[in-house]
Amino acid sequence: MNKIQITIIVILLAALLAFPQFITSESVLNLAVYVLLYVSIASSWNVLGGFAGQTNLGHAAFFGVGALVTRMLWFAGWNIFASMVIGALVAVVLALIIGVPAFRLRGVYFAIGTLALSQILLITVGNTFSTISSIPTEDLKVYSLVPRYYMFLGVALLTIVTAYVLLNSRFGLGITAVREEEDAAESLGVSALKYKMLAFGISAFFGGLTGGAFAFYHVGYYPQLTFGPEWTFDSMMMAYIGGVGTIVGPVIGAVFFVVLREFLALRFAEFHLIIFGVLFILVVLFLPDGFMGIWEKIRKRLLRRSK
Amino acid sequence: MPLLKIEGLCKSFGGLKAVNDVSFDVAEGEIVGLIGPNGSGKTTLLNLLTGFLKPDAGLITFQGQNITGYARSNICPTGIARTFQLVKPFLGFTALQNVMVGRVFGRESTQDLKRAAEESKASLERVGLVDKANMLAKDLTLMQRKRLELARALAAKPQLLLLDELMAGLNVSEADEVCNLILNIRDSKITILIIEHIVKAITTLSDRVVVLNMGTKIAEGAPMEIIHNPQVIDVYLGRARA
Repeated sequence: MNKIQITIIVILLAALLAFPQFITSESVLNLAVYVLLYVSIASSWNVLGGFAGQTNLGHAAFFGVGALVTRMLWFAGWNIFASMVIGALVAVVLALIIGVPAFRLRGVYFAIGTLALSQILLITVGNTFSTISSIPTEDLKVYSLVPRYYMFLGVALLTIVTAYVLLNSRFGLGITAVREEEDAAESLGVSALKYKMLAFGISAFFGGLTGGAFAFYHVGYYPQLTFGPEWTFDSMMMAYIGGVGTIVGPVIGAVFFVVLREFLALRFAEFHLIIFGVLFILVVLFLPDGFMGIWEKIRKRLLRRSK
Repeated sequence: MPLLKIEGLCKSFGGLKAVNDVSFDVAEGEIVGLIGPNGSGKTTLLNLLTGFLKPDAGLITFQGQNITGYARSNICPTGIARTFQLVKPFLGFTALQNVMVGRVFGRESTQDLKRAAEESKASLERVGLVDKANMLAKDLTLMQRKRLELARALAAKPQLLLLDELMAGLNVSEADEVCNLILNIRDSKITILIIEHIVKAITTLSDRVVVLNMGTKIAEGAPMEIIHNPQVIDVYLGRARA
């Protein structure tokens, strides 16, 4: 990273930290919470979907498990942080169990396999935990959005920093090599299965952690909500719109997505889903590298001109 | 003790015996050529050696260590690197990143990415590709991709290098360049097993030639002996009818 980049990051960070001190509007704060939530979940999806190139259509399962376990432990009197970590770890265990059979499948079959597993979980959870899960009244009396905002900010930063460190490490080189050309990577000593499992575990951990933050944030919901396929597909769309496989891509994608959705939903209600569908198709067809791809092209052209 | 010892190696696909009871040795510092008509089992043999296929029977010993049936990602760290008949570069990586994978995960696996990058540059230099270090592999020509594949395998610091038709698809002058590269690699004490169709290349390069036909070894010996061996002429040109 160069000096300009570091300065931008420091300013952004200060602004994010100071944000709730200046903004008191609940709707704006809620919007900020959702932006951070989607930054985390999209970045966590990106570790497997982007770095490893394994399109996981069951990411909601990890978000949901994280939320479910966190909610249970927290309501049972556990510390919220401990509850979230346990929730995330349960998500990891689930990923490792799913990973063994799922990574026998490649490409489209992996995508369908993970989608099927998460749908099974959605139905099972819906049948097992059929009553609404609400924050107890005594906790509700002291409920405030500000700590929720900081919780999401913490999870988002942790996810981004981890993803950045991973991508620039030996692990990052290995897992992206597996994505680019699995046979060649293996012939050079990279164990594809081991690296995919690692990526899957890390992706599930941060998906689960985001779910835990959601459990801390949301006042009342049916547990089934957190297992819905929209969590997966929204994450994937954000990663692709911003730039799949990059660090900044899912972040930009999430900000763009949430703000645009807010804007569209206010004007067109449910019709905004169709707009997003079309947008996603356009991005995949014409901008396979997302917004980051456009930025790269501009940067290269500027560099060439300055030579 | 030979560097590589192959004993009674067999592999069938359904009813087809692709490799049938093949045995031979490769001594340290040698260039051994593996030839045979299309479908004679050369690439299958190479895939057996590198763990891409599991043999039905037989023994592969490398440096006295039994490596039969090793997972394919465990082969390179023991000191065997390969290239692919149809080159398989990491297309979205730069040339340098391609080579770094070999350096970082190969025989002397390392965590130190900075040092690995520098040493990988040296590997690119060796195949004459250092000025393309920051180009994406997908923007390289076939000849450059072949060089890249070679640099990547070399960066893994192998003791044995398996080359699968490295010259296929190249013109005569490019093939000559690759020939010189291979001789240069041998001079750095890397043993080479080479599969090649171009007979001239095999005869100039190899110290010894093994001939396969329909999965069976039919001849083994010095290049000049082999090209005059009547059985070898038969399988390549068909039996002469007087």
